[in-house]
Amino acid sequence: MSEQPQKHAASLEWITEKLDNIADLEDKRLLAPAGDARLVFIKSITDSVKISHGIIAPFYEMEDNEAYKDYIRTYPGSEEATTGERALELLLSGYAAVAILDQLYFFDVLHAENSAVSETITESVTQGPSDGFTENLAINLNMVRRRYQSSQLKMESMLIGNLSRTKMAILYDESRVNYDVLAEVKEKLQTLRVDILQATGELEKYLSSDKLRIFPKTIVTERPDRVVFNLSEGKVALMMDTTGYAIVLPSIFNDFFTAMDDKIQFPFVGRFLKFLRVIGVAMTLWLPALYVAFTSYNPEIIRVQIALLVAGSRATVPYPSFVEVLIMLIMMEFLTEASIRLPRAIGPTATTVGGLILGQAATQAGLVGNIMIILVSAVAISNFLIPLNMMSFSVRVLKYFFVIAAAFLGLVGVVSCLVGLMIYLCSQRSFGQPYFRLFFMDNISFRKFKKGGGTDG
Amino acid sequence: MVKSRYFYCLFLMNSLINIINFVPRELMDRRFDGALMSILIAVPIGTTFVYVFTKLMDKFPGKGIPEIFNSLMPRLVSTPMLLVYAVLWYVAGVITLLSFVDITLRFISPDTGAYPVVIGFLILVCLCCRVDGLSLLYGLEVILGITLPLILYASVKALANPNFSWDSVLQIVTFIWHKPDIKSMAAGTFLFSGYINLAIFNRLFHKIKLRHVWLIAVEGLLVLLMTFLVPIGYFGTIGVERHVYTWFSTADSIRIETFLIERMLFIFYFAYMTLSVMSVIVHWHVGLELFKSIMPFADKNSSKAKLWKEWIILGLFCVATLLLMFMDQYELNQLAEWFLQIRWLGEMSMIATLFYCVIKMRKARRRNP
Repeated sequence: MSEQPQKHAASLEWITEKLDNIADLEDKRLLAPAGDARLVFIKSITDSVKISHGIIAPFYEMEDNEAYKDYIRTYPGSEEATTGERALELLLSGYAAVAILDQLYFFDVLHAENSAVSETITESVTQGPSDGFTENLAINLNMVRRRYQSSQLKMESMLIGNLSRTKMAILYDESRVNYDVLAEVKEKLQTLRVDILQATGELEKYLSSDKLRIFPKTIVTERPDRVVFNLSEGKVALMMDTTGYAIVLPSIFNDFFTAMDDKIQFPFVGRFLKFLRVIGVAMTLWLPALYVAFTSYNPEIIRVQIALLVAGSRATVPYPSFVEVLIMLIMMEFLTEASIRLPRAIGPTATTVGGLILGQAATQAGLVGNIMIILVSAVAISNFLIPLNMMSFSVRVLKYFFVIAAAFLGLVGVVSCLVGLMIYLCSQRSFGQPYFRLFFMDNISFRKFKKGGGTDG
Repeated sequence: MVKSRYFYCLFLMNSLINIINFVPRELMDRRFDGALMSILIAVPIGTTFVYVFTKLMDKFPGKGIPEIFNSLMPRLVSTPMLLVYAVLWYVAGVITLLSFVDITLRFISPDTGAYPVVIGFLILVCLCCRVDGLSLLYGLEVILGITLPLILYASVKALANPNFSWDSVLQIVTFIWHKPDIKSMAAGTFLFSGYINLAIFNRLFHKIKLRHVWLIAVEGLLVLLMTFLVPIGYFGTIGVERHVYTWFSTADSIRIETFLIERMLFIFYFAYMTLSVMSVIVHWHVGLELFKSIMPFADKNSSKAKLWKEWIILGLFCVATLLLMFMDQYELNQLAEWFLQIRWLGEMSMIATLFYCVIKMRKARRRNP
């Protein structure tokens, strides 16, 4: 064992000393007529079948130690470590150390516990592939590679996290990727200093520097087909071991409104579906705010009949309209949040209690108007039209700004908020790419339609 | 570098916003004294200005007026000029803003009170005009995409109305052979002066391909004729002079039979509010950039100093706006009238100065190529 503080020579004594107090460390001496060897591995992350078939059985079958050494050395995936630190790292990541003839070899016997390829949970489609990413990077890469059989698809890997040492893959299509974006991503990943990295969402947070942002600038997806589609558009995908999600960047506003079945549908149906989503977002943002504006400030804008109807339904309500709206919206948020967390067995209770009893009783008690209930349900439903979860959460938060603006200034406030939102969206950049603008104008002015190559799909 | 179509967006914004900036009022006042002739003359003049100015700015790719002036003229001359332009741009924004506050109070929310409305607008505008120019152009395009269909709908609806009196319009047309009037011409050319925002936005353009200049002329002529003639068709040749915000009164006369909203006024208001807030943002952005270029510590680049500088200027903008709130409708109208004329002079002088700069640059280039 060397006394150097930084570099230690790879020796089993040093390693075993470092791995003191690890109960599942196995340290076995193999003895055969031909010679002897020493085998060290950590039981909990290694595959015992691989060890017995790949390491122990050949040892007793081989004639002499020299041949066995060659066998270990040339086995695919085995490695020779020169420094103690590297040896330790390999051992902790699921390699077995074999000491033979004073040489130390590392043999890949990693055993990864992971769920099998399962259906997607958060992004379901009606038709089309339904396999989602798993917790195993190798399987995920397999799913992507199978769908993208091009030599241009490049993959670079790196390790992130001082303690978690999470394996990470950067995928891109060499011929289509924007190299500025790629360089920026790599630079950000290389300068990243964290101890533990466990979820892709976490990585997304580290990647962007803006702390006050509301809108997601990278897509976090669990669908291999979405990753493949985006790779073909020249985007960069980041995939992590131990999590079933991939990050796609740079992402623009429109990407969040593209569901994967839009491609499967007929063009007109697909357009219609996308249009529906835009209307849904507009409704969820505007309806509560407009209700406040129309009841408290500008009832003359809507038709007399509607104005009377709203006023009639609000006749018993004892407080101003924005209080009513805020109460109902917050109740609705409680319901949605609760139904995520509730165990499946009592999930329906929440819907019954919340939906039926609360809605019915509240109107009968005269605390909220009937129209308010209709409006809140419309808002709640239309909010979930957005295919990607991150964006639908952003929109959920955003509607309160509109309500507050409407409470202060009426219609003027709502319109000001709209202008502000537009400018804010336009001022955003996702890895240097404009986040929001009229992208379809580019197609119109140049009459250049590329299949699957446009940014808005 | 951005596409040339954003230049057309800037132009379109100004030409549509004329309704807020008292252009119809100016034209109405002289409807018997040569307004129509002035319109016909203003169109070629305005188009020429657009053409000449863009051609001149094209000689300085990626540069704004401050950079051009400061590099080719002595600081003693360029600084006061930039100051005057900065004030002009600020006034352009403030007139739109104040007249819109007035419209809001008169037509939309009479019981809100002027100060909440103006403070709301100021917060929005100040936050937005600090955004970089490219984002503003993107935003402008999006907002035009929202408002343009609504404005077109309102225009079609206005012309298709059976109660529209074509006779009054024809009667006004008979006054066409009248010598043009300088004030109406100043008002008429306002529609074309969107190009002048290039003074700052030219930093983003590298090569403006100005195709279809005739489109600019046709669009300008159509909008001017609409601006001038449609209110006359609704209120008659004499009745039209009783309205301050002529077009809003006109929009209030149109009924939509089959929609949730019955009065065209509100759709029109919605469209014009978004558009005019956007135009205030653009104008103040240019004003802010011009002021920044003449501030004494302009070359200090630390971000904190920059931020302070911007907020000090914007604070001054806001204070001046709040002070100008004391003007009544008549005085605001007067201010707008003066502005329309001074602005025209300003445009001419800017083009003349640019000519001088181009000549000087060529000379310098010939001397040491």
